Amino acid sequence: MSTTAPTVHVVDDDASFCTAMSRLLRSSGLAVRTFGSAKEFLAQLDPQAPGCVVADLRMPGMNGLDLQAALAKSSNPLPVLFLTGNGDIPATVLAMRGGAEDFLEKRVPMDLLLKAVQRALARDVREREARARQRDVRSRLDALSPREREVLGHVVRGRLNKQIAADLGIHERTVKLHRTAITTKLGVPSVAELVRLTQEAGIFESSGLTFPKGQ
Amino acid sequence: MSWIDFTWPMLTGACVTLGLIHLRIGLRRTPGAGHLLFALNALVVAVYSCLELALMRADSPARYLAVMRWMDIVGGGVLVASLTAFVWVYFGTGRRWLAILPSIVMGVALIPDLLPVPKVVFLQLTKVTTHQALGGASFPVADGVRNPWNLVFYLGVLLLLVFVLDASLTLWRRGARRREAIVGGAIVFFVLVAGIHSGLVDAGVVRMPYLFSAAYVAILVAMGIELSHDAAHAERLAGDLHESEQRMTLAAQAAGIGIWVRDLRSKAIWASDKWRELLGFAPRERLDFERILQRMHPDDRQVVQHAMESAVANKSGYETEYRLMLPDGGTRWISSHGAVESDAAGQPIFIRGASRDVTARRQAEQQASLLQQEIAHVGRVTMMGQLAASLAHEINQPLGAILRNVEAAELMMRNSSPDLDELRAILADIHQDDQRAGAVIDRMRTLLKRRDLDMRPLDVGELIAEAARVARGDAAERHVRLDVDVPGGLPRVRGDCVHLQQVLLNLILNGLDACDGIQGRDRRVTVAARADGPRAVEIAVRDTGHGIPVDSLSHIFNPFFTTKANGMGMGLAISRTIIEAHGGRIWVENEDGVGATFRFTLRTVDEADTQ
Repeated sequence: MSTTAPTVHVVDDDASFCTAMSRLLRSSGLAVRTFGSAKEFLAQLDPQAPGCVVADLRMPGMNGLDLQAALAKSSNPLPVLFLTGNGDIPATVLAMRGGAEDFLEKRVPMDLLLKAVQRALARDVREREARARQRDVRSRLDALSPREREVLGHVVRGRLNKQIAADLGIHERTVKLHRTAITTKLGVPSVAELVRLTQEAGIFESSGLTFPKGQ
Repeated sequence: MSWIDFTWPMLTGACVTLGLIHLRIGLRRTPGAGHLLFALNALVVAVYSCLELALMRADSPARYLAVMRWMDIVGGGVLVASLTAFVWVYFGTGRRWLAILPSIVMGVALIPDLLPVPKVVFLQLTKVTTHQALGGASFPVADGVRNPWNLVFYLGVLLLLVFVLDASLTLWRRGARRREAIVGGAIVFFVLVAGIHSGLVDAGVVRMPYLFSAAYVAILVAMGIELSHDAAHAERLAGDLHESEQRMTLAAQAAGIGIWVRDLRSKAIWASDKWRELLGFAPRERLDFERILQRMHPDDRQVVQHAMESAVANKSGYETEYRLMLPDGGTRWISSHGAVESDAAGQPIFIRGASRDVTARRQAEQQASLLQQEIAHVGRVTMMGQLAASLAHEINQPLGAILRNVEAAELMMRNSSPDLDELRAILADIHQDDQRAGAVIDRMRTLLKRRDLDMRPLDVGELIAEAARVARGDAAERHVRLDVDVPGGLPRVRGDCVHLQQVLLNLILNGLDACDGIQGRDRRVTVAARADGPRAVEIAVRDTGHGIPVDSLSHIFNPFFTTKANGMGMGLAISRTIIEAHGGRIWVENEDGVGATFRFTLRTVDEADTQ
């Protein structure tokens, strides 16, 4: 995790709007970088640098939604805050489904805008930490043997040792041995902790999620 | 009292009567010289016949000789000269030297008559005897030594005969009308009979009175036939004229046409009753051009005056329409056309014209054009609806920038020592963005305004650039490239800026629609212009879309024809109306496999001005 100050990336094809936006954010004490197009932004993107994106939904060439999709493929997707001239419902739905931080009108009052930016930056910090933790948990889970992982799957679903032994066709005692190995390797003492950890790592849910759902 | 005593006065009377009739005609008609000369001729013969009678009643040789002398002077001199002149003028075919010769010879022949002691016919008169004629009439016959100089007189008669024969034959060869042949024949007959007979009497071969005036009856009859032909012809013409006038009046009345004639020299104006009714003049009211002009709409006076003046200057026709201001405050449209008539010297003398009330037609035209403007306006409003999203974006962009700048400035002002340079830059940006938003609104407002056609010279490049500016946002939104390809140096076109932009926008938006759903190839709309000969510019809007189904090509410009799910089908119909009102045409072609091209032409400024 990088320690540099978070940067707000403003992406808008309108140069004048970029300048005005950067002035406002800078006056509010934020670090800002402006980009005339989504392509230009993506070319200069450093996945390690924290921050957020404030993008115009409607841009020639690559528009806001395309930008969001491209960003999602990176290892550390920045939260995207969309600005639009008018409420375009289908685009809004698509943006929100894609995990957009917020969807604001271009002339939203300043405090709402700044709050949204702050929220996005905070979310970026949170998500970066979560992702770091997840990566950590995953590396620990990687130390488990296939059989231990199988047992862990049953444990987090709340099944008893006896049931697990019956399901896997092994002795109950062997199950106990596996559980001890698991808690040792993962450094987690309780079943409740195990459940939380596996959820965080997202290993027993449909994989491929880049942004944790919900807020 | 014998038959001689009433035959000769009758001859005199006949000559005088016909002479006076021709005198009157000659004075009335413009080329009346022929008639006047014939009148002179006939009156001379009347005098001559009086002298003949006097000769027959001479009671002494001295008196006989005195009358004889006057007969020579009147018959040989005046009659020959006037007959020559008549033939010369009336036939117009005589030879000049042949015409002059008889009169000269006659002048020579008359010398003895002009001597102090005249030697007329006889050198010495021995006796005058009275002879009895049929019916108990008596006449004198003279005897004596005859003057050989008489032969000169007959030479003169012979020369006159040659002249008349020559003139008549020339006329005959030129395909003369029967009437001239009759007159020519009669004159030849008269000269022959009168000349030969009087020669024989003079020579004492026949003992008869002179029959000069009796022979002249042939000419009287010929001219009488002429006159009766003229009279019959005149009557027929009068009948024809009346008939044609009747037809004309009927036609003019049925068509509601008022007729007028203006005499350019006397400035007098005559007008038919219908015309007076149309322009609101009383039947007997005096007319002059100024007063007529006063009744016209002030805006039209100069146009009418100019049309008349140039018609007079070019001796051509004219055609104009003007508004008449009615006393009740209403307006009446009059269509007037006419022609200038010139005299033989090419000087314009009359303008004749016909005027008609075309108010109903004008109103219908106005209503149709109003309706067209209305429909075009509805079309623009609809189109603006399609463009609303991209227009809102275009306005929100500068407005958003202004707001953010203001907020930034407010935050900076909270600082104890704000960066003044930055604040100045902010203010400059705000100003610029305000103008940007204003320009978008102006463009939109212009397109939404309800307005009449306002034809002006337009730069094709600017026209296309302006339309492209409006459509650019929409094109970007829909991932279609919008290209403009206008070469420099195109002539300017005459047109209404807003209506032509409407057409361009309509075609561009159609092109964008056509590109919807196109995958795997260039999505592009190109607006191009090129000169189409010296008098027109062709503008083409090409897309790389689906193209137009072949069965739609023929009615794609029809109203309410649409291939779009939510289309009204009015866009292209309105575009066609607009282009046709500009004197151009619009059509569409499918490109080979890829897309379609809509083309339309506009007249260049010079070409439109000559219309």
